Amino acid sequence: MTGFVLRRVLAAVPIGLIVTLGVFALVFAMPGDPLRELAGDKPIPAAVLAAKRAQFHLDDPFIVQYLLSMKDILTGNFGTTFAGADIAAQLQLRIPVTLKLATMGLVIQWIAGLLFGLYAGFKRNGVVDRVLLLATLFILAVPLLVVYFAAQYVFGVELKWLPVSGIAHGYPLSYLLPAVCIGLTGFAGLARLTRTSIVETANADFVKTARAKGLGEQRILWGHVLPNALLPMVTYMGVEVGGIFAGALLAESIFNLPGLGQFMFQAIKLKEGGVVVLLSTLAFVMFIAINLLVDIVYGAIDPRVRNV
Amino acid sequence: MTSGEVLLKVDDLSVEFDTPHGRVRAVDGVSWQVRAGETLAILGESGSGKSVSTQALTGILEMPPGRIVSGTAKYRGEDLIAMSVKERRKIVGDRITMVFQDSLSALNPVQSVGKQIAECFRVHRGLSRSESMKRAAEMLDQVRIPAAAKRVHDYPHEFSGGMRQRVMLAMALALDPDVLIADEPTTALDVTVQAQILELIEDLQAERDMGVVLITHDLGVVSDVADNVVVMYAGHVVERAATAEALEHPVHPYTEGLLGSMPSADLKGQELPTIPGTPPSLRSIPSGCAFRTRCPHAIEDCAVLVPPLLTVAPGRDAACIRRTSIPAKEAV
Repeated sequence: MTGFVLRRVLAAVPIGLIVTLGVFALVFAMPGDPLRELAGDKPIPAAVLAAKRAQFHLDDPFIVQYLLSMKDILTGNFGTTFAGADIAAQLQLRIPVTLKLATMGLVIQWIAGLLFGLYAGFKRNGVVDRVLLLATLFILAVPLLVVYFAAQYVFGVELKWLPVSGIAHGYPLSYLLPAVCIGLTGFAGLARLTRTSIVETANADFVKTARAKGLGEQRILWGHVLPNALLPMVTYMGVEVGGIFAGALLAESIFNLPGLGQFMFQAIKLKEGGVVVLLSTLAFVMFIAINLLVDIVYGAIDPRVRNV
Repeated sequence: MTSGEVLLKVDDLSVEFDTPHGRVRAVDGVSWQVRAGETLAILGESGSGKSVSTQALTGILEMPPGRIVSGTAKYRGEDLIAMSVKERRKIVGDRITMVFQDSLSALNPVQSVGKQIAECFRVHRGLSRSESMKRAAEMLDQVRIPAAAKRVHDYPHEFSGGMRQRVMLAMALALDPDVLIADEPTTALDVTVQAQILELIEDLQAERDMGVVLITHDLGVVSDVADNVVVMYAGHVVERAATAEALEHPVHPYTEGLLGSMPSADLKGQELPTIPGTPPSLRSIPSGCAFRTRCPHAIEDCAVLVPPLLTVAPGRDAACIRRTSIPAKEAV
């Protein structure tokens, strides 16, 4: 097990290098001058400009800039943004915001997805199953942006049930609307996968064996069908954890939540390669960790893939 | 001939399936019985309804699309088909158990074999977890799996095909059943392993005086282990006899054809005879006798009525209007 984890972490290092290099190159290739963007219409004295350019190594070759950024990240010396904010302090403020939003969205998505998926799978072709099929089809067809704006308008502006945007109302009220949007759009896929997986497993030969053993339906369901149906679900849920942070990027920008997603959005706008790479690295490390966790969970529930 | 108590008696069992193309009758008026200590072989090719009939009477057939149209299946006088699901579960899985063909897919891949065997003791006998596991290990030992105490914690994929079929047997025999229904238990195995498994079933049967219903398409298996044989074709029983007699003097032309197409030393160098044509689709079974289109003895009358199963000699039944007694040439 330890060897397995170690191998996976080591294998992640070269991938991490490629990913960060690619992201940095993309930011570098974006048109426009970051410092002029920051200053807006105001003229900047040439001396200030030069000092700033030197501070952020903007005149160095691409690869040098990348290596300097990586050095900063690896030594934990994050520095400041172009605007002068301390990046370490920013992270401290923003990470909890994103975590709160993401966990809330995930919990909603998982509970709704598993609940509806399991029920529809157990009682296939029933009312819930048919309604779910239609509802998920509809949800999957509507673009995320439309959902966000529609939710803001209906529940925030018209009904005034929840804050439209911002974090003024604190946790959990300010997070509820974006989290529900994230959860709702994500639950459709999980519910359908869960349903299909249950139905497929229910037709397996070993379920016939279980029936021939004279077991009750409940015991067959929870003891034989579910543990086997869980396998594709765990994989999907793992991938979704990664996806939820991508969703948070958009949600935080629209709902004006000061999280990592919003930070990333601003950094991309200002061409702050260092910040973008830092956040990408964070996301990457998290993704690797989640994947590793999924593999370990997978091994725990399926003896066939244990310790590979 | 065995003369033990009749344990399971199936009478006039018919099973239909609803398909998008209409109703299909997979099993039509099938009757047979098995006594304690007897091995009854149900012989037939795929689609002849041999598996469907046993799955229907044990209640493990998916219904719908399947439907039992008529018939009874009496275990010691109690009709399994008429009783409630709850009552049936006390018999199927306890007194009547089953093993299936493909042991890899028939065992739960994410549960240790011990746990799967122990489940029988826990559900039907209410034994504790540790006691059940102990019994499971004993069962593995009884089906001659080496190092049973250690292997009881292994998973199905860690066993070979033959060993897995032994695990299936251990699970089926755990509660000392009266009747074992073995649905092509050796089809997925190679010949040497097949012989070992059949021998094991025979030994365990002798120990327990158990009735065995052996579903197979393999005449070799039938001649090796079965006391009596029921030959099925397109959902009908076409011949019923003691194995030795059926092999010696087949009455129904289908049985005759099957026997004729068995490779044997006498046929060395000659082309192996086959039954012409293919089995009919259940959606378009010929009128009258289902076998008539492939039968060398068919006459016009064969197309009129479904031939009833007639007694042609004591203890021998066949469903053929051309063969209402043991043929003279074989009675020599």
